[in-house]
Amino acid sequence: MTDNHEAAAARLLEAYASGRPCEPVRDLVDGVEAAYAVQSLLTERWLAGGRRLAGRKIGLTSRAVQRQLGVGSPDFGALFADMAVPDGEEIPAGAVLQPRVEAEVALVLERDLPHERHTVADVIHATAFALPAIEVVGSRIRDWDITLADTVADNASSGLYVLGTRPVPLRDVDLRLAGMVIERRGEQVSTGVGTACLGHPLHAAVWLADTLAALGSPLRAGDTVLTGALGPVVPVAPGDVLEARIDGLGDVRVAFVQAGSEQEEAR
Amino acid sequence: MNALAETLEGGPVNGLAEILDDAALAGRAVPRLTDAADLDVPAAYEVQRAVIERRLARGERVIGVKMGFTSRAKMVQMGVDDVIWGLLTDAMLVESHLDTAGLIHPRIEPEIAFLLERPVRGPADAVAAVGGVAVGYEVLDSRYEDFSFTLADVIADNASASGFGHGPWRPLRDVGNLGLVMEIDGRPVASGSSAAVLGDPLRSLTAAARLAAAAGVELQPGWVVLAGAATAAVPLPAGAHVRVSAAGLGHVEVTTR
Repeated sequence: MTDNHEAAAARLLEAYASGRPCEPVRDLVDGVEAAYAVQSLLTERWLAGGRRLAGRKIGLTSRAVQRQLGVGSPDFGALFADMAVPDGEEIPAGAVLQPRVEAEVALVLERDLPHERHTVADVIHATAFALPAIEVVGSRIRDWDITLADTVADNASSGLYVLGTRPVPLRDVDLRLAGMVIERRGEQVSTGVGTACLGHPLHAAVWLADTLAALGSPLRAGDTVLTGALGPVVPVAPGDVLEARIDGLGDVRVAFVQAGSEQEEAR
Repeated sequence: MNALAETLEGGPVNGLAEILDDAALAGRAVPRLTDAADLDVPAAYEVQRAVIERRLARGERVIGVKMGFTSRAKMVQMGVDDVIWGLLTDAMLVESHLDTAGLIHPRIEPEIAFLLERPVRGPADAVAAVGGVAVGYEVLDSRYEDFSFTLADVIADNASASGFGHGPWRPLRDVGNLGLVMEIDGRPVASGSSAAVLGDPLRSLTAAARLAAAAGVELQPGWVVLAGAATAAVPLPAGAHVRVSAAGLGHVEVTTR
């Protein structure tokens, strides 16, 4: 069993190292708990290698995506400080395998959330401010051929993330009815609203706080929480520049480096 | 003028309008007009105008316009690159209750609505003429079987318009990216951003002014402009309570029987 988990972790790490997606790991991972065990192996490996844990991301927060994967709850992955990209900065080709982009509400905490059960009030009390965010998700697994076990083991398909730079206190924004739009060269590629994230982004944060506390690694002051997509995920290609706007939170951009060699081939 | 309308000298246009008007009155779907008639877009607007004339002859009054195909996805689906419009009459305005028994296969969708307080002669006037903005909904009820139509068919059918309602009018504000949620009996059935309406519902208003000017229609003070759907339409059952909320605009409710 544990050997299988090690093998699954090794397969995923090889995909990171080689830049080539791997086969799914579900043959080695029996169930969600086992998948989180694989994710923990990866996290421990990365922490031992000197990466700094900066927070968590919540995934599978849309009913449509949950139905697609046949699951009834969200999942989470680890965010490391080196995954944060400054607003508008270019992301090198290959930095994220099979990248896709989604717009989310980020919460930055100023208090720990150590309880067995949290309320929305606890989360509001613990939140210093919200930021608009773009998450560049990716999959180490070939063609995004994922089940719940695959994506959980693969750090919830985390890639990189971009945070906006103007903090907004929760009292100043209606996250439930915040509109979201992503544009590429002025063309609209995704729209959505706060309710698309488990009914309310703060509900997703409550789930995360409870889940992490139960696992013995609660959310801490200073952590960033990416609460989950507000609308459909957008596939991206080299050269793309995308801007996400969340009403009441502001805007944030991400750019992907042109694939120079491919461009020349196209000529 | 267009070739078809000229050659048909209005007679067949009136005949086609009668088919659609009767279908609405009887609550019975009819086959697509384009299955039997050669209808282009200008001729389809002639039919639409004739449908409205029949309503006016029964004492109804035009009180606004509605925009259709305002989402990129819908334009691609219909293979068109411009919005369409239809006219709203006072008989379509729903206060709080709607009897669905007389309808064919009603659907409902959330909308941003504008209230005009000045006449609009052209696109440049449109935004300055707005006296208020509200969250709204539109009830669509295509007179065609299976809600299936070509572009010309849906234009002739007054863009499937059947009913509409709106919440309290608020002063105009930035409505480019407002979250909207529609609930039926307390459960969310559709949600999205007003950005899905041409990137900003105000663009839809400007497009309404352009289409109206091209058709020789002056948008009047007191008229309502429904800017277009922010989400896909969902079937509207009888005995349902529908509530549409938009960020900063409150909500509007309708109960069906």
